[in-house]
Amino acid sequence: MDLKAEIRKYIIDNFLYGQDDNTLGDEVSFLENGIIDSTGVLELVSFVQETYGIRVQDDELIPNNFDSLSKLEAFILKKQESKGQERVDTAATAVSPN
Amino acid sequence: MLHDIVTQRARTQPDSTAVIQGRRRVTYADLERNVSKIASFLARNGMQKGDRVGLFTKNSPEYVAAYIGIQRAGGISVDINFQDSVHEVKTIINHCGISILIVEHSYAAIAAEAVKDTPSVTMIIEIERQPGGSPSKAKVSPRVRYITLGDILGQGEERRAPAAATGTDIASIVYTSGTTGRPKGVMLSHDNYLANAKSIIEYLHLSERDKVMVVLPFCYSYGKSLLTTHLMAGGTLVLENSFMYPNTVFDKMVEEGVTGFAGVPSTFAILLNRSNIRNYRFPELRYVTQAGGAMSPQHARELCAVLPETKIYIMYGQTEATARLTYLEPEELLKRAGSIGKPIPGVEIDVVCEGGVQANDGQEGEIVASGKNIMAGYWNDPEQTNKVLKNGRLYTGDLGRKDGDGYLYIAGRRSDMIKSGAHRISPKEIEEVILEMNEVHEVSVVGIPDEILGEAIRAVIVLKEGCQPDEKKVQRHCQTKLASFKIPKEVLFTQELPKTSSGKIRKFLLKDRSLTGETVR
Repeated sequence: MDLKAEIRKYIIDNFLYGQDDNTLGDEVSFLENGIIDSTGVLELVSFVQETYGIRVQDDELIPNNFDSLSKLEAFILKKQESKGQERVDTAATAVSPN
Repeated sequence: MLHDIVTQRARTQPDSTAVIQGRRRVTYADLERNVSKIASFLARNGMQKGDRVGLFTKNSPEYVAAYIGIQRAGGISVDINFQDSVHEVKTIINHCGISILIVEHSYAAIAAEAVKDTPSVTMIIEIERQPGGSPSKAKVSPRVRYITLGDILGQGEERRAPAAATGTDIASIVYTSGTTGRPKGVMLSHDNYLANAKSIIEYLHLSERDKVMVVLPFCYSYGKSLLTTHLMAGGTLVLENSFMYPNTVFDKMVEEGVTGFAGVPSTFAILLNRSNIRNYRFPELRYVTQAGGAMSPQHARELCAVLPETKIYIMYGQTEATARLTYLEPEELLKRAGSIGKPIPGVEIDVVCEGGVQANDGQEGEIVASGKNIMAGYWNDPEQTNKVLKNGRLYTGDLGRKDGDGYLYIAGRRSDMIKSGAHRISPKEIEEVILEMNEVHEVSVVGIPDEILGEAIRAVIVLKEGCQPDEKKVQRHCQTKLASFKIPKEVLFTQELPKTSSGKIRKFLLKDRSLTGETVR
């Protein structure tokens, strides 16, 4: 299952109680459509952190990162990429003679 | 009258901003014009004094204009929670006989469905997505007249409607959950609102320089009190309809130079634990208020550290008291942890033991209040009214005690109402909905401790023989009948509910957070 499909399944299971009536499109705003509320978004953050092994900083909890399937997918991919880059940098530093 | 507060400010400070939402700014002169047009339209179209007009919308400048406009035309505004299901909307419309429904475009389809079975409704006024935007395509019964608010506000004529109401007339009905599961419509008069707003303005020292960030919905008494107090003081309401992204709210607070912020315990739990507030500076923020529960000593200390220049007020109230009954002075916050303070100006509070005897200092009893802010009663429900209003005094159902200096502390509630976020929820109402399911033999609904919400909803179910447990099916069924905040977060299935020898369910045994279906005893 791809990343977006996984998140969609989580949201349908946990916020729509398993009811998939094809209304959760990639660009649908969770906030505007009342799909997730202020406490629901915290559950979503926990899910994202545990499932994808990333750490969401407080200042990253903004609509641009979390408010639709597409935005959330892009955010997770960006975080994973920067985490991967950090590992490469750390490894490079470790082998550096300086 | 309540509706005169806008007229007065439109005369003395017409160009001051009354309401801000996003990029929109509405001055007192604009607001007065819109109030006048709405009132005039309602009066010209057959609305009589005392008619009920429903408001089914999130916070917006249109809500503010419609709320005041209804009252100016002599009507009674009735708030319908925008999270309500079709079933709940129908129940409220039928309970108080709403004749006109003002509805936000997002909820037009729900309203159209609800009015199929609510013959009292003769007109729907739709608030478009944005001023001048096109209306939704909601299909409404042909017996109901459909018009947009834009049509009403676009009319040139501003014939003033007669201000028919007197101070003791009902200005609005606010629905609150009852222990019976039946809705209770709290009737609040113009005098109730004016008295409570005057007291709040006095102790918060509100003036026309104040700008409050409103994340609480106007359909609840706490949110409504922000509206009345700030318009009366000539201040500004800055509307943000969600606290889902707290940093977005903080950005707006900084941008607008907000001077006040109001929240419930869950708002402050999110603010302290899950937001970026420590990286913000709010040089203009003069005060914050919390109602809906005392603040834990830990949160009080943290909030003082995060907002060192800001006064923090803890307050207590009920919808039946318009909004507010007590407040704790900011200077006492750290000294009297857990206190809800002393009565606000114009309110008297006693702690009364069984038999009506006044409690001694430190002794627990029921909190009983009197003052000009106490409601007129519950709509069309003398039985419930007589249970809580006795000789003009409000028996709150909250248990409390006073310390030697007269400071009040809440000790619990007589009833088993659930407090979750900003909501008071009747377990009975949820139990009745779950019992509609064929598979369910017996159910008990309780609140369990929740770090953010205060309490989360748990349903414990005994199934009929041969039926399979299905948590999601129960939640989906609730979703068809109940607002989203009433859907149980946790559903447990068990063989038997714990009961007393007389057959009463021992609810306190179901509140243990670590409980599972197998460990219910």
